[in-house]
Amino acid sequence: MYKRTGWIGTATALLGVALSVLVLWMVFFWVPTEANQGVIQRIFYMHVPAAWVAFMAFGIVAFASAVYLWLGDERADMAAVAAAEGGIIFTGIVLLTGPLWGKIAWGTYWTWEPRLTLTLLLFFIYVGYFMVRAATENPEKGKRFAAVVGIVGALDIPLIHVSVLWFRSLHPEPVVLKAEGPTLDPDMLTTLLTGFLAFTVLFVGVLMLRYGLERAERELNLRQVTG
Amino acid sequence: MTYLRQLRAVIRKDLLQELRTKQRLATMGGFAVLVGVLFNYSIDQAIVAAQDIASGLIWMTLVFAGVMGVGRTFELEAEDGAFQGVLLSPIPRDALYLGKVVSNFVLVYLVVLLVLAVFGVFFQLDYGNHPFMLLAVLAVGALGFVALATLFGAVSSGTALGETLLPILVFPLLVPMVVYGASGTSRLLAGRPIAEVEGNLRMLAAFALVALFAGAGLFRFVVED
Repeated sequence: MYKRTGWIGTATALLGVALSVLVLWMVFFWVPTEANQGVIQRIFYMHVPAAWVAFMAFGIVAFASAVYLWLGDERADMAAVAAAEGGIIFTGIVLLTGPLWGKIAWGTYWTWEPRLTLTLLLFFIYVGYFMVRAATENPEKGKRFAAVVGIVGALDIPLIHVSVLWFRSLHPEPVVLKAEGPTLDPDMLTTLLTGFLAFTVLFVGVLMLRYGLERAERELNLRQVTG
Repeated sequence: MTYLRQLRAVIRKDLLQELRTKQRLATMGGFAVLVGVLFNYSIDQAIVAAQDIASGLIWMTLVFAGVMGVGRTFELEAEDGAFQGVLLSPIPRDALYLGKVVSNFVLVYLVVLLVLAVFGVFFQLDYGNHPFMLLAVLAVGALGFVALATLFGAVSSGTALGETLLPILVFPLLVPMVVYGASGTSRLLAGRPIAEVEGNLRMLAAFALVALFAGAGLFRFVVED
C-alpha cells in the first residue's frame, strides 16, 4: 500500500516541479510585461497561486480534522498534518512574495492590506497548529488539540476576512493598486492559470509524499513499541 | 431542566472557588490597574490625548488580563487531579464548558468594569452619551473572548507549554473581536450616535455565537483522556 501511494506521490510531485519550471519560463520569457507596474508584476504569477494553495490546504486541514474528531480515523489526522505542512510553506511563499511586490508597487514592505493581513493570521494559526502538536506529551491528545485548532481556525477565517476588510474601509490607504490591473491580457491569464495548475499539482504531490512518510513513521513507531 | 441545574452547579462551583481564593480576580484586577499606571507613563499626553486612544487601551487590557485569568481556569483544577473528579461527574461536556464560560465571563466582566472605572479616573475619560451601549459592546466582546479563551485554555493547559501557549492560539482568532470592539468603543467614547455602533454590536454577537457553538461542540475532544 505504501509503495503504491509513494509511487503516485513521487510522480505527481515531479509533474508539479515540471509545471512549476514551465511557469517560471512563462513568467520570465513568455508573458508580456504589464504596462503600469512593469517587471515587478511578474511576481503575481507565483503569489496568487501560492495564496490559493495556502487557503485550500487549510480547508483540507479543517476538513480532515473534523473527520478525525468524528470518526477517530488515524488516516484523517495524517492527511491533516501533511496538508498543514504543505500549507504553511505556501503561506510562507505568499508572505515573502507579497512584501517584495509591495515594496515596489506600494512603496512599503507591509501595509494592512486585508488579504495580506488574513494570510499573516493564517500563518499564525498554522503555527499554533504545529505548536499544540509538538507540545503535547500524549500524541493522541496532540492530534485532538491540533484538530480543534484547525476547525476553530477555519470557522474564524471568514470573520477575520470580513473584519479586516471592514477595518480597511475605515482607514483607506493612500495608494492602492489592484494586483490585476484593469483587464487581464489573455497571455497573462494563461500564465496565471498555469501557475494555479502547477502549484496545485505540486502541493498534491508533496501532500501524498508527506502522507506516506507520516504513515511509515507511525508504522515504525508502532513496531518499536510492540517490539 | 436537569441541563440548567448541571450548568448552575458548574457555575456555582467555579464562582465559589474564586470567591474563597480570590486568586484570579486579585491578579487580573491588580494587573489591570498597574497596566493603567504604565500606560500613563508610556503615553505623552502632550502629543496624544488619552481619550483618543482609550478604547485601544481598554481592549488590550481586557485581552491581556483575560488571557491571564482564563488561562488559570484549568491550571487550578489540574492541581490534585481535581479536574478528573469534575470529569467523572455525570455532566455533559458542553454544560461543563458553558458553565466555565459563564463563570469566566463574570470574572472578566468585573475586570472590565474595574478597567473602565480606573482608566476613567486615571485619564479623566468622558464615557460619551451612551454608557449602556458602551457596557453592552464590552459585554458581548468579552463573551466572545471568554468563549474562545476557555476552549483554548483547556487546550493549552493540556500541553507541556501550559498557559504560555494560550496567547499564540487565541490572538490570531481574536482579530474580529478587537476590530469591531475597539472601533465601537472608540466611537462611543467620541460621543457618536448609537446607530454608528449597532453594526459593531451585531458583528461582536456573531463572533460570540460562532465561538460559543465551536467551543460547546469541540470541548469534549479537548478534555477527553
